[in-house]
Amino acid sequence: MRIEKCWFCSSTIYPGHGIQFVRNDAKIFRFCRSKCHKNFKMKRNPRKVKWTKAYRRLHGKDMTQDSTFEFERKRNRPERYDRNVTENTLKAIKTIDKVRSRREAKHIERRKKGKKAQQMREAVKELEQSISLVKAPSVLKEDPSLTLPKIKVKVSQPLAENQPMEE
Amino acid sequence: MAAGLASKWSLVGRSLLGGLNNNLSSLLGTSNGITCSHSLSLQQRTFIQMRTVLKVVDNSGAKKVMCIQALKGKKGARLGDTIIASVKEAHPNGKVKKGKVVYGVVVRAAMQRGRCDGSEVKFDDNAVVLVDKQGQPIGTRVFGPVPHELRKKKHVKILTLAGHIA
Repeated sequence: MRIEKCWFCSSTIYPGHGIQFVRNDAKIFRFCRSKCHKNFKMKRNPRKVKWTKAYRRLHGKDMTQDSTFEFERKRNRPERYDRNVTENTLKAIKTIDKVRSRREAKHIERRKKGKKAQQMREAVKELEQSISLVKAPSVLKEDPSLTLPKIKVKVSQPLAENQPMEE
Repeated sequence: MAAGLASKWSLVGRSLLGGLNNNLSSLLGTSNGITCSHSLSLQQRTFIQMRTVLKVVDNSGAKKVMCIQALKGKKGARLGDTIIASVKEAHPNGKVKKGKVVYGVVVRAAMQRGRCDGSEVKFDDNAVVLVDKQGQPIGTRVFGPVPHELRKKKHVKILTLAGHIA
């Protein structure tokens, strides 16, 4: 008994599920359900179909390289049955699964967080370096608090008006 | 029986019409300049019955045979069954000639066959290996993949000749 992967969506196929299609060049395509099978018959490329793992990996939505993936490599040599080995393997599968799902969730969270922090840092740097293009350096020397627009400035009206434009 | 046959013919008719419609739509598509190369082929694959043309995948000399009887099976033959067929197309110098009535073992069927673990297998086309009355293959080579359902049906010789077992 072997747990296969669907050719189209890369989900696991448990025994008793799905259809196996053997092409005349002896390439075997396994599908987890008729949705994937019908998409295959429509000659859709899984790398272009948004809900497949192939698309997500290709476009960096999901984690691609991790040491936990090494444990799931396909092995063609049958192992001699050993009760302790089996027990340890089952325990290991549980922990590896937990670790992998935790890492995947982190990856997605990092992706979703966005680049706000980086943009903020870039904005501050730009403000520090090139504020001289907007304001004369003599004005800045008088009141150094003028450099950051967030800080409330006690200056005359025309200068206060300039500040929103810098953002 | 008649009702069964009628339903079968209607299925066949529907698939034929479906094929025709697909051809028409694809022709129209190409004439309009749309480069859509696929047509939705949700065909219902059925049994191998009388008048089914099958490909011959051994070197016995025949190229195409037409089934004239499916031994075992009221509705038709499936993957791994034997059929009686008439040779419709043959290589000029082969062991079998056109018009000969031969026995064959279905090694590839487009209709899915359930496996004992619950999954289903289907192949790309309908293919047959010619055998004699005892079940020994006439040819000496088999091309393409064959299923291991043949082992249960005691066609071990074909499995040994096969290049790839699905």
